[in-house]
Amino acid sequence: MARRDNLIFGCGALGHEVAMQLSERGIQVYLYSNNFDEVGGLLAKGLQAAVIDYTDDEKLLGIGIGNWVKTIFCLFSEEPKNLFLTLSARALDPNLKIVCVAESIESSERLLAAGATKVIDPYEISGQRVHEMIARPYLVEMLENTVFGKHIDIAEIEIPDSSVLAGMSLSDLELNKKYDLIVLGVVDLELGNQLIFTNSGVDHHLDAGDILVVIGCKQEIERLKQGVSADAGEP
Amino acid sequence: MSFAQKIIKTCYTLEGSTRYKGLKGAVYNLLQNPRAPIRPYFDIFMILLVLLSVWLLIYEVKHDLGLWGDLIEVGAVTIFIIEYLLRFWLYNDSHKVIIERYERAEFINETFRLGPALSSAILGKLRYAIQPLAIIDLLAIIPSYRPLRFLRIFLLFRLFKLFRYTRSISEFVKVLSEKRIELVTLFIFMAFITFTAATAIFFFEAEHDEGQIDGFFDSVYWALVTMSTVGYGDITPQTTEGRVISLVLIIAGLGVISFFTSIIVSAFGEKIHEIRAHRVFSEVERKQVDTLVCGFGRVGQVVADRLSEDKRSFVVVDPLEENIRLAKQRGYLAVMGNGEDNSLLMSMGIETRIKRLLCLTGDDVVNVYITLIARQMNPDIEIISRANHRENVNKLHRAGASHCVAPYEVFGLIAAEYAGQPVAFEAVYGLLTRQTSEGIEAVRIKRDSSLAGKQMGEIDFLARKLIPFGIIRDGCCDPGIDNSCFNLNERCFYFNPGEKFTLQADDLLVLIGHEYSVIHLRDCLERGEL
Repeated sequence: MARRDNLIFGCGALGHEVAMQLSERGIQVYLYSNNFDEVGGLLAKGLQAAVIDYTDDEKLLGIGIGNWVKTIFCLFSEEPKNLFLTLSARALDPNLKIVCVAESIESSERLLAAGATKVIDPYEISGQRVHEMIARPYLVEMLENTVFGKHIDIAEIEIPDSSVLAGMSLSDLELNKKYDLIVLGVVDLELGNQLIFTNSGVDHHLDAGDILVVIGCKQEIERLKQGVSADAGEP
Repeated sequence: MSFAQKIIKTCYTLEGSTRYKGLKGAVYNLLQNPRAPIRPYFDIFMILLVLLSVWLLIYEVKHDLGLWGDLIEVGAVTIFIIEYLLRFWLYNDSHKVIIERYERAEFINETFRLGPALSSAILGKLRYAIQPLAIIDLLAIIPSYRPLRFLRIFLLFRLFKLFRYTRSISEFVKVLSEKRIELVTLFIFMAFITFTAATAIFFFEAEHDEGQIDGFFDSVYWALVTMSTVGYGDITPQTTEGRVISLVLIIAGLGVISFFTSIIVSAFGEKIHEIRAHRVFSEVERKQVDTLVCGFGRVGQVVADRLSEDKRSFVVVDPLEENIRLAKQRGYLAVMGNGEDNSLLMSMGIETRIKRLLCLTGDDVVNVYITLIARQMNPDIEIISRANHRENVNKLHRAGASHCVAPYEVFGLIAAEYAGQPVAFEAVYGLLTRQTSEGIEAVRIKRDSSLAGKQMGEIDFLARKLIPFGIIRDGCCDPGIDNSCFNLNERCFYFNPGEKFTLQADDLLVLIGHEYSVIHLRDCLERGEL
C-alpha cells in the first residue's frame, strides 16, 4: 500500500470538497468511509477512496496512522463518528494533526477535548462571511478577487540555515520595497509556534528556522523563496 | 351636443385631469392607504372624535349640553358626513365605467346608450353602500337628522365606527367572518330551540292560572334567559310540564354555549399564526427593516447574531416552529413561513422596502427558487445566497444572486490551507474570521482629510502598529503605477502601494492591524491630527 500523508475520513459533500481543494494545490489525499455507496461515487469521479471500518484500531494502524500519516480530516456528517475517530487516532499518535468539522460551539468543544488539533465550523465561518458581505462589502470584494481569487497568495517561508537573512532584523528586510510583498509576521521557534505580527511593535530578530509569513503575487513569493535559499547575495 | 355626449366629454376630462387624480390620490392616502404616513394620525383623530361624540351622547341624558356641546356635535356629524361621502366617492371611478361602456360600444360599432352605462355606474356605488362598514357609517349619521331623532340609539353605531380605525378589531372581525358558516348554523339552531321552547312554555304556562307568562314575548324572553344560563329568575315555570321544558332547555343551552365557545376558540387557534405574522409585518413596516433572512439554521443564526450586534434591523423567515421560537427568544423579528411563498415575500415588502435578501437554507433547491422569484420581483435587491454544493454556485448566480457563500467550499479552502501551510493558515483564518485581535480593516479617506494628497511614505504606519495592505479606489486600474493592481467591479485595488503612491480623497485604505489601532487612526483623522 502506498504511503499517504493526508487522509480524509467521511466521503460526503464536505470530504469531497476538501479532497478537490487539496488536489488543486497538488497535495495527494486518500478518502476513507464506512459507506460503500459514497465511496463508489467518489471513485467514479477519479478520486482515490476506499471503504474502511474506522472503529477498528488495527485497520487504522494498517493505513499508517501512528506511523507516517501527518494529517487526518474527520469529516463525517455525524458528530459521534468524528468524536470516536478523533479519540482513536489521538490514542494511536500524539503528534498527529487532526482537523475536524463541527456543527456547533458545543460540538467543537467536545472535539477539542477528544484531542482534535483544529476544529472548523463551516456554518460559523459562512455566517461570518455573509455578515462581512453586508457590513464591509468593499473588503470582501477585494479579498475575493485577490486572496481567494488566487491573484494574491499567502505563503510561509522557512529561513534556511545558510541564509543571509539569519541574523537580520525584521525591519532591515524591507521586503515590501525589494519585493512586492507584505510581511504579515514571523514565527520564532524559540518563542513558540505563535505568529508574531509585524505590527506588534517589536522589531524581531530573525534566526535560521524561523518562518516568515508573507502575502503577495505568486511570482514574487517564488522570487523571495529563491532569494532566501541563495547562499549569498541580496535577499 | 346631446346630453349623453356632454357626459362622455366630462368623463374624458376627468380621466385626463391630473388635478382630479391628485385629489383622489390624496383622499385615498388619508382614508385607505395603509402605508400612507398620514393614516395613523387621521385614525387617531377619528377615534377621539367618535369617543367624544359618544361621551356627549351619554352626558346629554342627564345634563344640558349648551351651545358648545351642540357645536361640537354638529362639527362631528359634519366630519362624519364628509367622510362618508368621500369614501363613497373613492370606492370606484364612475367616469371610468362610463368610458369603458362607451369605448366598447364604439368598438363594436353600436350606438352608445347612456341609460345602462349610468345604471352600471350607480350599481357600483350601491355596492359600496351595502358593505357592513358603510352601513355602520350611515347609521351613525342618520339620527342627527332632526325628524329621525327617535333613532338616537343608532348613535351608538359610532362606536362601531372604531372598527375602521383600529387594525386589531378588524382582524377580530375577519377571524369571525371566516367562521360564518358555523356561526350561521349555530344561530339557526339557537333560533329553532328558542322558538320551540318558547312555544311550548307559552302553551303550558299561559293558560295555567299560576303561570307568570302573559304573552309570547315573555316566553321568548324566558327561553333566551334560560338557554344562555343567565337565569334571572323573574319568570319561573310553575307547572310540571313547564319545568320539564326548562330541564331540556338548560341542557340544550349548555350545548349552544359550548358550541359557540368552541367556534371562537378554534377560529383564533387557526388564525393565531396569521395574526402574529400580521403583527410582524406591521412591525417590519414601522421599523423600516431592510434585510430579510430566509432560513434560521446554523448559518442564519450566526448572521442574525452579527447583524443584531451591529444594531441592524432584519426579519427572519423560517418554516420550522422551533427555529422561529429560537429567533424570538433572542428578540429578533420572525415569521413562520416558507421563503418560497410569493405572498409572504410580498407582504414583507420585497418589492419596495427590502434592500437585501439572505437565502441561507440548507437546501440548495429552495435557495435557488427563492433567489429566482425575489430577483423577478425586485431587480435591484441585493441577494446573498448559500450554496451547499459547489456546482450550484453557478446556478445561483444565473438565478440572480449577487453573492454566493458555499460553507463547504470555505471549509475546503481553510482545511486545504491548513494541510499545506499551518502557520499561514492561522494568520489568514484569524484575519478573516476576526477571532484574533488582528484584523483587516478599511479606512475611508475623506475629502477634507489631511491624508488626501499625501504619499504613503510620509505616513508612519508601523509607529501606529498598522500594516498597509492596499488601496481601493473608484475607477479603472492605472497601469502607470508600478504596483500590482487588480480590477474589482468598477473599482481598483492597489496591493502593497509603494512609498511614492499618492492618496486621494475617497480612497479606501486597507490596513492590517489591531482593532484599536484602526479606531485610533480613524479618531486622529477625524480630529485632523495626522
